[in-house]
Amino acid sequence: MSAALNNSFDVVIVGAGVAGALIAKQLGLAGKKVLILESGAGLPPNINAFLERFYTARAKVPEIPYTPELFDPPGGSNLQDPTLINAPRPSVLALDKNWQDPKQSYLIQEGPLAFGSTYERVAGGTMRHWLGTTLRFVPNDFRMQTEYQQLVNWPFGYSELESWYSEAEKEIGVSADSTEQAYLGITFPPGYKYPMKAIVPSLVDQAVKQGITGMSFESINLTVTGTPAGRNSQPYQNRPVCAGNTNCIPICPIQAKYDPSVTLGQALDTGNVQIWPQTVASEIVLEGSGRVSEIRYVQYQQPGGPQTGSGSVTAKLFVIAAHAIETPKLLLMSTNQGRTPNGVANSSGQLGRNLMDHPLYLAWALMPRPVFPYRGPLSTSGIESVRDGDFRKKRAAFRIEIGNEGWNFPINDPWTTTVDFVNGLNQSGLNPIGGGKPQTLFGTDLVSSLNDRLTRQFRLGFLVEQSPDSSNRVTLAGEKDHLELPRPKIHYDISPYTRAGLGAAVEASDQIFSRLGARQFTTDPAADDPSALDVPVNGKTKRIKFFGSGHIVGTYCMGTAKANSVVNPEQRSWDHPNLFLVGSGVFPTVATGNPSLTIAALALWAAQTIKKDLG
Amino acid sequence: MSDAAMDLFVGLSAVLTGIDKSKLAPSLDPVNIKKTYFDYAQNKAANEFPKLLDIYQRNQSLPAAQIGDIVLNQSGDDICYLARSVMLMWYLGSWYDPAELRKYNGQHPPSDPGPAFAVISSDAYTRGWTWSVAQAHPMGYSNLHHGYWSTLPPSLQDFIGGGS
Repeated sequence: MSAALNNSFDVVIVGAGVAGALIAKQLGLAGKKVLILESGAGLPPNINAFLERFYTARAKVPEIPYTPELFDPPGGSNLQDPTLINAPRPSVLALDKNWQDPKQSYLIQEGPLAFGSTYERVAGGTMRHWLGTTLRFVPNDFRMQTEYQQLVNWPFGYSELESWYSEAEKEIGVSADSTEQAYLGITFPPGYKYPMKAIVPSLVDQAVKQGITGMSFESINLTVTGTPAGRNSQPYQNRPVCAGNTNCIPICPIQAKYDPSVTLGQALDTGNVQIWPQTVASEIVLEGSGRVSEIRYVQYQQPGGPQTGSGSVTAKLFVIAAHAIETPKLLLMSTNQGRTPNGVANSSGQLGRNLMDHPLYLAWALMPRPVFPYRGPLSTSGIESVRDGDFRKKRAAFRIEIGNEGWNFPINDPWTTTVDFVNGLNQSGLNPIGGGKPQTLFGTDLVSSLNDRLTRQFRLGFLVEQSPDSSNRVTLAGEKDHLELPRPKIHYDISPYTRAGLGAAVEASDQIFSRLGARQFTTDPAADDPSALDVPVNGKTKRIKFFGSGHIVGTYCMGTAKANSVVNPEQRSWDHPNLFLVGSGVFPTVATGNPSLTIAALALWAAQTIKKDLG
Repeated sequence: MSDAAMDLFVGLSAVLTGIDKSKLAPSLDPVNIKKTYFDYAQNKAANEFPKLLDIYQRNQSLPAAQIGDIVLNQSGDDICYLARSVMLMWYLGSWYDPAELRKYNGQHPPSDPGPAFAVISSDAYTRGWTWSVAQAHPMGYSNLHHGYWSTLPPSLQDFIGGGS
């Protein structure tokens, strides 16, 4: 790799995440010469450094194993100033009362609400820290406008995507049972088998299933369903079976969970694919005809070091796969000396708009009997029967994820409860239950109290479908990173339709806990929490906290008309025929399933189109 | 550090944590975690740590409940909070400084992040006893087999030892 070198390829891909990796592999197998520009670090020889960083970190957040380091100095307590980093990234640790401080938060957050999801800038992308959930969307997710006169339709339906879902399931390696997954209109070809048998349910799942049998919410039967998982239930792709490390997020220590480094390795093995790490695309250059002619880049060696090179690469075709915030940022930055003042691929004015997530409502409780959490994959089942129904005319749908990690997500347990009992505190609400003077325990009393509390913990996560809203958007901030490239500015709010879905989630959690005989400990948000909002609950207004789900969606939505969408149904820019924009940014809606499988399916579909283009 | 001092440390730790000595400090321990913890406490509390061991030495023949009461309630704040630091070291593989624990005793403002701490090492993290007390394993470190999560775990006693 040389700073001054000009190179030409069949295809240049920006971003070594799952979408870029899958397309690179398909093109590499077809004999096409592919270059991937990756803004962050390349593929390490192993994951030992990631694991060491995770084990020794105080805050075991989704971003912690990866680079660049979140803290300055590493292991310290001060967040790294993004101004001093070449390819910075967001962190949930920035979401405190200083969430709008540009020296703490890479994203320049305009509000009114905090955007709580984060992403990685490293080879392997954000699916380095994904949960492993590989749900298909349900058919009505694709036709919300037609079916419920809400949100928008996708330009195609489930049936067009079905075969690509199957392909994606093979690439990722999904464990599931097609009979169990055939609900709410999801179909499979006759005799379809997932690549691996389903992952067995946890004791938590079993307790919830037994407890809510026969229960309904808003006239919908609540059904516990095993979650399709990109985790191995048998050896697959030279990777071992899941050993239940309860750590899918932030990192599976044995790589039984798929991550895109698997596909990147396969892409490199074709002999036709190269990755240039620490190479940040800085401008998409157009020729007079409107075709993309080259991509300019800048390079660095160390995360906080100086720029070490710059150059440009040419290709027949270009793919931007830098996720739903960095992709629009790059396109908006690409003004071509004033020829495209509003950025590349933006004749519709829609670029950067319709940023979505699954705002997540987290509710936690103590079961009447031990359910033995902190065992197994982080989540093995969900309540999926609530993902679709006539209620979508009035409020957003959600799915309910059942957690196997006790109260780790809500209150950072078992740390919090352990410190409570040793030091006479009651941050957990468990020392004592119901309030009063906290105990300080030692010896067998400490053991028995902790055992009683920790073995009965469980939590539910409600992933609510956020409506597309053109004012929720990514634009360019005046603030820069260390390479003098603009940082993303985010405007983010949640619509009444989605708030109504969050309110229904509160009602559903209350009813489920009551049915289970579980005592709820969900806390109200602090007064200065930027991720809190009012929602309607049982006819009254309640202030609740929401989390980001890490499902960053929209910002270059696909559609059927050039006037109101950024890419066509092929994921090709309406404006520039040799430019493809892939990843969850093309989703017209966030739908009711976790996005990774659909990202992969659409990437494989795009790869086929690109191969045809190249001939 | 003498063998005798280490024996005192392990004996005291068993009383405070409720974990049996044979589990806390097994004869075969490839990472010798007890030495890591002994050295850490000695380094962090050079004055009080020997005093803590001395108090245990003088009272070790008493029932565990009495020893704990003497250490935690009758020997002054310096000893009490150091003993709590030692307990948390075994439970969480992390060092919560006694001064930090003293600052938060019984009080914890809602939006305050709580007592500061440092994870001692990756070995310490993966040997935290709180996970065993939950009849589980450290998140990110399981030596168990696929599917174990669908069946009941071994008994608490199997994890922490002791009993009949």
